[in-house]
Amino acid sequence: MNIDETKMKPQLLFFIGKGGVGKSTSSALTSVYLAAKPYKTLLVSMDPAHNQCDIFERDFSEKPKKVSETLMVKEVNSDFWIEKYLKDTTNQIKETYRYESAFNLQNYFNVLQFSPGLEEYALLLAFQDILQKYGDQDYIVFDMAPTALTLRFFSLPFITLIWLEELLTLRSQIYKKKEIISKIKIAGIEIEQDRVKAKLESLIGNYENLRQQFLSDTTRVNLVMNNDKLSFSEAFRIRQKLSDISIAIDRIVINKLARDENTAEIEKEFSKQKIGKLRLAPEGLTGYTMLKNYIEAHTEAFEER
Amino acid sequence: MKSLIKWIKAQFVEAFKISDEVMRGKAVETIEHEVAELDNIFGILVLGAFIGIPSPPIHITMELLPLMDKEFDIMLDKVLTAHDPLGHLFSVLGID
Repeated sequence: MNIDETKMKPQLLFFIGKGGVGKSTSSALTSVYLAAKPYKTLLVSMDPAHNQCDIFERDFSEKPKKVSETLMVKEVNSDFWIEKYLKDTTNQIKETYRYESAFNLQNYFNVLQFSPGLEEYALLLAFQDILQKYGDQDYIVFDMAPTALTLRFFSLPFITLIWLEELLTLRSQIYKKKEIISKIKIAGIEIEQDRVKAKLESLIGNYENLRQQFLSDTTRVNLVMNNDKLSFSEAFRIRQKLSDISIAIDRIVINKLARDENTAEIEKEFSKQKIGKLRLAPEGLTGYTMLKNYIEAHTEAFEER
Repeated sequence: MKSLIKWIKAQFVEAFKISDEVMRGKAVETIEHEVAELDNIFGILVLGAFIGIPSPPIHITMELLPLMDKEFDIMLDKVLTAHDPLGHLFSVLGID
């Protein structure tokens, strides 16, 4: 490995696409292929309905499990992340609020855990945690949830930043006015640092980093599709939605291809993307050995990366 | 005699201090109300979910909530006095 490569690591590969096109299988195959190179590879299932356990025919959990010397698999448990997050927030509230208002708040708070939007946030928390803990990997492969949740996951940092920046503007205005008041009233005494403003600033920094991560060269999005009308038009829409937030698709994986199938239409539409073709495995692909055999039989499909 | 003068001087200084404080208080009265109003708006923007107003992405609310006890109080207080906005305005402007 040369110096350039070490600097760039870990490479993040996302596998996205319509439900049922074979995101999990393609990501599993890619991970096994990379691990055999041998790159240190971590395969992460971000789909709340996990199926890496079915593909590898063994149980996985939050804690990554070794499948081979260089390959680990982890399943993100979004309930765990939501729960942990709520608990942390509740504790912080108990520390800062007066007893009676904290007590009142508890009722409201219990409702919050059913709020929409927490699921993708849980994924984002898990994602940050993975980047922190497994930065030593060469490749981290993400097997994403079907389109809707995945798109919300990708756009979350972008939307959040818009809100945070607006809130910070207002907060700065308030802070300035408070400064004026304190200058006149208690001349010379500095007012205490605004904790909310400081928090907003640190959040903005945090989300800015995430956005940079999504936009950087080390993040590559693989769009999985089949050679049929439905997944083709969905792929088209996904590309549109992602380009709205400036995320480009790096590679198209056409999965479940029969021998000599014509894919000219896809190749024409996605002429800017690399194209990988995966042949249909009629007997199904389950178990580590079967995945390995498939890769050996179709090395050309993985070569280009 | 000397102590009397000292005492009178101290009284004057004290009186001046109090009137200074009052004047300073008066000078910032309106701007203080404005800040309370802005605090309320900020509270509603972030914590609107608690009084039935669509809010930002819920995780922003959750991140800021632990630090916003004052805004939370102001907001709930304003909800209680919301039926009499004119009365509030008159008291800000000092109209009886």
